[in-house]
Amino acid sequence: MLANLDRKLFRDLRRMQGQAIAVSLVMACGLAMLIMSRSLIHSLSTARAEYYQANHFADVFASLKRAPLSLVDEIRALPGVAVVEPGVAAQVTLDIPDLDEPATGLIRSLPDLREPQLNRLFLRVGQWLQPGGHGEVLVSEAFAQANHLHPGDPVTMILNGRLQKFRIAGLVLSPEYIFEARPGSALPDNHTYGIFWMPYEELADAFDLKHAFNSLALALAPGANESLVIAALDRRLLKYGGSGAYGRSDQPSHVRVSDEIRVLTILSIGFPLIFLSVAAFMTNAVLSRLLTLQREQIAVLKAFGFENRQIVGHYLKFAFVFVLGGAVLGTLGGMVLGGQMTQMYHMFFRFPDLSFQLDQGAVALSLLVAALAATLGVLGAVRRAAKLPPAEAMRPEPPASYRPAFIERTGIAHFFANTFRMAVRNLERKPAQAGFTIAGLALATGIMVIPNCFHDSVGHILDFQWDTVQRQDVSVGLEEPSSETAKFVFRELPGVVSLEPFRYAAARIYFGPHHRQIAIQGMDPASQHERIVDSRVHVMPLPAEGLVISTKLGEILGAKLGDRLTVEFLEGRRRTVEVPLAGLSEDFSGLAAHMNRHALNRLLGEGDIITGASFCVDATAWKTFLHQLKAVPRVSWVVVKESLRRNFRETTAASINLIQSIYLTFATIVAFGVVYNNARISLAERGRELATLRVIGFSQSEVGAVLITELVILALIAVPLGLAFGTALATGIIHAVNTETVRLPTVFTLHNYAFAVSVVTIASTLSALVVLRNLKQLDLVKAMKAPE
Amino acid sequence: MLETNSPAQDTTLTAAARTPVYRARGLTKVYGTGTAEVRALAGVDLDLYPGELIVLLGPSGSGKTTLLNQLGGLDLPTDGELKYRDLDLTQADEAQLTRFRRDSVGFIFQFYNLIPSLTARENVALITEIARDPMLPEQALEMVNLGARLDHFPAQLSGGEQQRVAIARAIAKRPEVLLCDEPTGALDVKTGIVVLEAIERANRELGTLTVIITHNAVMADMADRVIHFSDGRVHDYQRNARRAAASSLKW
Repeated sequence: MLANLDRKLFRDLRRMQGQAIAVSLVMACGLAMLIMSRSLIHSLSTARAEYYQANHFADVFASLKRAPLSLVDEIRALPGVAVVEPGVAAQVTLDIPDLDEPATGLIRSLPDLREPQLNRLFLRVGQWLQPGGHGEVLVSEAFAQANHLHPGDPVTMILNGRLQKFRIAGLVLSPEYIFEARPGSALPDNHTYGIFWMPYEELADAFDLKHAFNSLALALAPGANESLVIAALDRRLLKYGGSGAYGRSDQPSHVRVSDEIRVLTILSIGFPLIFLSVAAFMTNAVLSRLLTLQREQIAVLKAFGFENRQIVGHYLKFAFVFVLGGAVLGTLGGMVLGGQMTQMYHMFFRFPDLSFQLDQGAVALSLLVAALAATLGVLGAVRRAAKLPPAEAMRPEPPASYRPAFIERTGIAHFFANTFRMAVRNLERKPAQAGFTIAGLALATGIMVIPNCFHDSVGHILDFQWDTVQRQDVSVGLEEPSSETAKFVFRELPGVVSLEPFRYAAARIYFGPHHRQIAIQGMDPASQHERIVDSRVHVMPLPAEGLVISTKLGEILGAKLGDRLTVEFLEGRRRTVEVPLAGLSEDFSGLAAHMNRHALNRLLGEGDIITGASFCVDATAWKTFLHQLKAVPRVSWVVVKESLRRNFRETTAASINLIQSIYLTFATIVAFGVVYNNARISLAERGRELATLRVIGFSQSEVGAVLITELVILALIAVPLGLAFGTALATGIIHAVNTETVRLPTVFTLHNYAFAVSVVTIASTLSALVVLRNLKQLDLVKAMKAPE
Repeated sequence: MLETNSPAQDTTLTAAARTPVYRARGLTKVYGTGTAEVRALAGVDLDLYPGELIVLLGPSGSGKTTLLNQLGGLDLPTDGELKYRDLDLTQADEAQLTRFRRDSVGFIFQFYNLIPSLTARENVALITEIARDPMLPEQALEMVNLGARLDHFPAQLSGGEQQRVAIARAIAKRPEVLLCDEPTGALDVKTGIVVLEAIERANRELGTLTVIITHNAVMADMADRVIHFSDGRVHDYQRNARRAAASSLKW
């Protein structure tokens, strides 16, 4: 049996359903964001943890030049080491029939007669490698899907300079490659880069690594100190050409998933906080209005003996109905958005099973947070109303008192029409209501800036990195450093317009307590392909001696121009030398170090050595060039600029479009809801005033203008604030998203701002029009009646 | 001293003023339908002439406010004929009604209905901004003896003062008609008299046809004509040979 007070609740709610829906929707935006991000964090971390657990993901990783398998026992004996899994990893080039350019990848070994103890694969389709079998490979699912490869298909690879044909046994996933991308690449390019596995014997044979290994994975014993193990391992691997062991926190794939979780964590706190504040205020505004209307009813209830507690409870229930509506819509919204985001993750992250899992804790949390926000929003007003002595409550509220608005006190009052004065004075009399409407509109404007900022920033990188910095069409890397004569082979390729050799050298750069591991790029001083630019995008000449490093690397090391950096080479004779810092360059691909190639070779104590070359190719000979490139032996990797750029565009476009549509929905809801609520309340509170204006001769549109003037003033204040807020927010988010390898600049364009302003303007205008339609029904006779 | 006239043959008026401002015949207003049907106006015949001061007397619920709403163009009749000069108020569209109210009618409400966010002067100026041939706001306020309180907000004025601002607002546009709905209903006697004096002065000095509706029979003495209203009909007309000054009224 419904209590009669609750019956009143439902009937009152039905009369204010438009506003109730508006409040619930804004609340739902915040809660959807909360539930989506918490659930995605839950889904990603659970999926990752289960995957790692089930497939024995290693704790420490190392690569080296070559070490005998006998070393494995020694490493296993190191304190803190539980499991050691040695293997062979090598660069490989592939000829994929449907692909013009050569694909490259990493080929890894699997133990011949047993399952690996660490980093076990997950077989998606097909079969495992036959024990003792030959000529079979397993292929990463991402690469296979992008290139339409299936179990049983043939695949041609160049292994250590020898062209060999293999059959695909199965498509697999690996916990090491949840995020599968070329090292250092910000986004996956599954068309041209893949991971492959074959039996140890066969791979070791091909690379002359029999009874030896060049990669290593370790599992730590419980309670082991990771950094001590890494230090011990590094010492042990030093003479075998170890290039530095690292833990999960530096494992590229692990880092990318963690970065995503970190960003989601920021979203799960920041966004709901802002949305719920706006929703809390809207609740306050709606309920304050209701309380004013029902002063007499409250008095009657109290006169008949209802307690303050019951009255407070009754009105709090209104707020809780909004909260409940918001929570239901928010949960549904969060599930839909989360499902779509999970779909998008499939482009970046490869799990055996990544499905969206609703975090029930987050649903409970969101209900709690929203209830708390609503209670905070209305408790004060409700308690004030309940405390009013019945006799006083029976009387209508005293007339509103006004004073000239601040802007008029500046002495320019006579410039304003009286209707404008009404608007400003009304706003000034209710600063909180005006403030939160401004906040809501600013929020809507601000969140629209974010996705376009990402879009523009990515576009800027594409142009900057690939039109200003890297002007070659294609770069080709060799398996081993070679003498400069290798470039004569390259020159024979058809259509080569220009060719510039380069030399990469793996090194650790130290300065003070900081260090980073990086490939130093040795370039010819007059390089026209790859160029170094400063922060003002001016081309810098490459100094004859000394290092030029990216600004980001300079920041990390804390080094400034003229400082002497210690460079420890991780290849060749492994020399450690001191090099002056000769320049700082702008490079959005993160960490970079450049040097004159001849100077670099001198430091390494080697002759005229190159590790690859970049090419500009005549467009008419492009296909033949790529075709013949596939047959060049000892090519370990090929990067074609245009396909990289296309891939980058497609991948970012898909994710940015999704995010944009989410933010667009939210911005529209908030702008619409806030304006609707504000206009409805103004209309209700000032119905008599507006009716009076109609009676004394104002036309419908003139009366509408009185209401609209207020909204326009609010919007004019809100929009610049919103743009500033969005700029700050986007800058903050981009800084949070940026890592050492992914460096997005913050680019804000006029187009971005114009779009944000248009979205908010259109949503607010439509909302205002919906409310203004009610002016038609404005009861003129109301002006004749007693004030409420 | 009292004489009764039929509306159509008011022989005491001069020929020039013989064209009525308002002419109503069989004016009917019905609210609701079926059993809930209320006949607020049940066939009213009425002629109102320029410059007259009319007091419309009747108990509450007699339909006098409904009649005022029809005269002011706030509401359309269900049946019958209502003309303001050449304007057929039963056929007028929204724009015509707005123009009619803006140019020709001054309204005075029982609860003043000032815009709380505007000062006395601004409340009047709000109308003078949109009117055809207005007086200065200060001039209008001077006529109601409020020249000294121009820059006060409604909340800073007494009820009588607020009503006088409302009168200034109504007369500032020099309307042909002043419609007053219980103008002293919310005021005490002394302040009520001051307000009536202001209305009387506007009628006298501006020649505005003034209709005051009230249930206070004392006010009948200040009228040129008194119309007694009951059950949605004109019950009786009465013409005063001599108007009593508002200041002489007592209730």
